[in-house]
Amino acid sequence: MAIDTKFIGKTWPDLSYDVCKEKIREYAKAIKNQDPHFVDEAFAKKSKYGCIIAPPTFCVVFGGALIEPIFFDNELNLNLMMLVHGEQEFEFFEVVKDRDTITSTAKITDVVNKEKLDVLTVEVLSRNQHGRNVCKGIYTFVVRK
Amino acid sequence: MADKITKGTTFQAQEVVDKYRAIYYAGASGDFNPIHIDPEFGKMVGLGGVILHGLCALGFVAKSVTDWTGDPGRLKKLRCRFATPVHIEDTITVAGEVLEVSGGRAVLNLKVTRQNGEEVEKNVMAEVEA
Repeated sequence: MAIDTKFIGKTWPDLSYDVCKEKIREYAKAIKNQDPHFVDEAFAKKSKYGCIIAPPTFCVVFGGALIEPIFFDNELNLNLMMLVHGEQEFEFFEVVKDRDTITSTAKITDVVNKEKLDVLTVEVLSRNQHGRNVCKGIYTFVVRK
Repeated sequence: MADKITKGTTFQAQEVVDKYRAIYYAGASGDFNPIHIDPEFGKMVGLGGVILHGLCALGFVAKSVTDWTGDPGRLKKLRCRFATPVHIEDTITVAGEVLEVSGGRAVLNLKVTRQNGEEVEKNVMAEVEA
C-alpha cells in the first residue's frame, strides 16, 4: 500500500542525547577514523576546539536514533522488508563536542508515490545545549511496492 | 593537509571493509538491521550475505575529506545517493576533486568506487570551508 501523503509534516517527540568521549571513540573506531581530534585527549585539548570533538557523521548516532520510532510507527506502517536507504544529505553547523547535550527533532518533509515505489524524506535537525544548530540530516528512504 | 584549497586539486583515500566492519558499525550506530549483521538473513533476502551500512561507507567518505582538510570542523555539507550495496571485503576508493571555490567555501565532487570500478555511491558532493 502506498504511503499516504497526509503524513508530510508529521513530527515525532524530540530526543535528547548526552555526548561523551567514550561513545565518540567507539564510533570513530567503527568508521576506522583515528583522527586525534576524536580520540587523543591531549591533542584535542591543544586544538582550537579545546576538547574531544565528534566526527561530523556522528550525527547519525543522536539523529539516527529518531529514525527507529519512524520505522516502527503504527500509523505510518512502513513495509521495512522493502525499505532501502536511498539518499543522505548532511549540513553541518557547529561541531559537536564531548559533554554536549544534543536535542533532535524529526519531521517527514516529503512523500512521493511512484508506480513501483514510494519515496519518504525525513529531516532531522539537531541543536546543542546552547540552542545552536549542529546538524541537519536529510534521510531519503525508498520503499518498493 | 589542505591549507589553501584551489580549484582542480585532487585527493584520494581507500578503506577495506574488513569481515567485522558491519558489526562494529552496528554497535556504534545502533543500527542492528539483520541485513548488516546476519549472513543467513542477507542471503534469504537476495543480498548474498551481509552488506555494509550505507552510512558507514559515507563515514569513510567524510573521513577522506576531513583527513584532507586536516580539520573536521571544515566539512559543512555532504550528500550522496546509495547506488549499490557495499559488501564485506570490498575495497572502497574515494577520489575527490575541487570543482569550485567561492565565498569561502569549496565544492568537492567525490567518486566512490569498489575494487571493480563500480560506483557504490553516486552524486557524492561535499562542501568545505576553503
